[in-house]
Amino acid sequence: MTRVTTVPTSTPVKAPVRSQSQLSVAWGQFRKNRLAQIGGTMIILLYLMAIFAPFLAPDGLSNYSTSNITRFHPPTPVNFRDPETGAFGRPFVFKYTQQLNMDTFVNEFKPSTEKCPIYFGVRGDSYRILGLFPGNLHLFGTGQPDCKVYLMGGEDLGRDLLSRTLYASQISLTIGVAAVLISTLIGLFMGAMAAYFGGFVDTVIMRLVEVLASIPTLFLLILLRSVFPKEINPILALYVILGILAFINWGGLARVTRGQLLSVREQDFVSAARSLGASDNRIMIRHMLPTMTTYVIVTTSLAIPATILTESGLSFLGIGAVEPYASWGSLLKQAQDGGLSSLNTRPWVLIPGFFIVFTVMCFQLLGDGLRDAFDPRKRS
Amino acid sequence: MIPFLLRRVVQSIPTLFLASLLIFFVIQLAPGDFLTPAKLNPNISPEQIAALESNFGLDRHPIEQYLLWMKNMIFNLNFGLSFQYQQPVLDVAIPRVLNSLWLVLLNLIFFYAIAIPLGVFGAVRQNSLGDKAVNVVLYFLLGFPSFFLALIVIYFILQIRNATGWDIPINGMTSNGFDAMAPLEKVWDVLKHLLIPALVLAISDAAGLTRVIRGLMLEVMRSDYIRTARAKGVSERTAIWKHTFRNAILPIVAGIGGLLPAAISGAGLTEVVFAYPGITPMILDAINTQDLYLIAGFTVLGTVLLVIGNALSDILLAVVDPRIKVG
Repeated sequence: MTRVTTVPTSTPVKAPVRSQSQLSVAWGQFRKNRLAQIGGTMIILLYLMAIFAPFLAPDGLSNYSTSNITRFHPPTPVNFRDPETGAFGRPFVFKYTQQLNMDTFVNEFKPSTEKCPIYFGVRGDSYRILGLFPGNLHLFGTGQPDCKVYLMGGEDLGRDLLSRTLYASQISLTIGVAAVLISTLIGLFMGAMAAYFGGFVDTVIMRLVEVLASIPTLFLLILLRSVFPKEINPILALYVILGILAFINWGGLARVTRGQLLSVREQDFVSAARSLGASDNRIMIRHMLPTMTTYVIVTTSLAIPATILTESGLSFLGIGAVEPYASWGSLLKQAQDGGLSSLNTRPWVLIPGFFIVFTVMCFQLLGDGLRDAFDPRKRS
Repeated sequence: MIPFLLRRVVQSIPTLFLASLLIFFVIQLAPGDFLTPAKLNPNISPEQIAALESNFGLDRHPIEQYLLWMKNMIFNLNFGLSFQYQQPVLDVAIPRVLNSLWLVLLNLIFFYAIAIPLGVFGAVRQNSLGDKAVNVVLYFLLGFPSFFLALIVIYFILQIRNATGWDIPINGMTSNGFDAMAPLEKVWDVLKHLLIPALVLAISDAAGLTRVIRGLMLEVMRSDYIRTARAKGVSERTAIWKHTFRNAILPIVAGIGGLLPAAISGAGLTEVVFAYPGITPMILDAINTQDLYLIAGFTVLGTVLLVIGNALSDILLAVVDPRIKVG
């Protein structure tokens, strides 16, 4: 049976031109921005690193020997060649011994000739990933407790700095972001309350914003932290600092939200919704607050790096993350221990700082990219 | 000008009042009261504590206590007693505030000396190799916490010191034997100690401002009146510095007021790294010893500085921008 096809006489129907939502326009713009995409990808990788930190870290968070004290153990280079035969083989590190230099009275670390081979997938400290999945497998390590790999050296109690830095990423990457998200919610809520109720509520909220802005940030942070005793539970200390950071940052957003909602309230689409009989809640949530989307996305993405920097500063001052937990800022604190002049005998304690710089830069790239993507003047 | 100033002062009173209220009640939330550390101190007799208690009215209702605290502050300039130093808070705090101010002033000079030329350069030679290089470096600097930058600088200075034997001061505010120096020598000594912290702080802060100035300059340079100015034949220098720059910096002038206290609290981390005897190291000590009157005193002083700074920037803005009417 043959099929008779008729040539259509009319031109094919064009797909109707679909209007683009603002978000899809912005997404299209964002796709063109290579740097912002790199920033975003790096951030995803950083978070993956934080989640799998216990697996990637060769050692536990707070693992040190009380008999064999390895205070400020220097980084151990990984060797691939056997020093005697020159043959390539399984990578290994030398075991280090300590000696007191009788001239300077400084404990010196010297590599001995004993080799500790590095294996992948060794069993070691047990951990739980995300608090759920138990395990004791580590990406690499020697499996010998008295001859560890110190890729980034040791810190003041002799714990492996690389492991501490990886664990610290969990706190550094969480507190900044969570504080910004909470303060965004507070800001939107307070701004909406001020605009909606007006009168007394408005005055109180706006005055509170003004007062919060009138106290210098660092002093306010320290003042609020001093409300809680210095020696609180370390986990609680993290929540305290998270709460404080969230509490001091919502003012600007509340002010903008209030202004925006007050101007939007008079516009036609709101009157239309009202005359259709929409409830106040619906008008606020479906019609008025969405006008803030762009602003909120852009300010949030730029507030995150700033808050990460603040958190690192607070931890550096010793009022953020406390032992046994660490954040990148608190790891830098030990650069100061024992006087600054000894800093050049252990420069590796500065390495966690570069994690801060890298993270902040990635968030900046992402934030700038988002800002440009939403800015109609910068569209190409 | 004077009515404008007066109105500015009157406007800031409620803010100051509410801020002091907030500070006071935050401190009330803290466990124990001002005298808890004193009670544990064997050097302070029970009679003294009882005297202090009635002196500060700690046996009374919090609202009464607040009023008493305010009364002492406003009429007697008495911010309470620092238990750690056994001195009135003001006597302890003022030298520290002055120390911080010197650091901040020098820092502001460097700050503008770096940010303004770089920002203007970036706008005038937009997308040139120099502009791009500056942009990349600044972007990198934006990510540096000021204390981390300071630590890196210290590391390199230590290397230089070890290699050359130069005595570059990186610690504290004065050298040994400061008291025996001649006045000019003293000034020079302090300046030497200020130089590196101020420069480090300025570099880490200037990254943001340079980008802002560049953006504002670019925006103004595209406007019609600059084209008109060029068309009527003013020199390039006049077109940039007089016509563009003066218009571009208006938003920055409006923000100057926040710089004073922001710089003081921002200088805090650098002060800690360089062991500079400024405000923040003392506040941190005060937290450790629960010296709450001292913390409250510093916070009130900082808030007053901020309000003064805001008023100053309003006045400056009125001076720079003739469109703003004063009075």
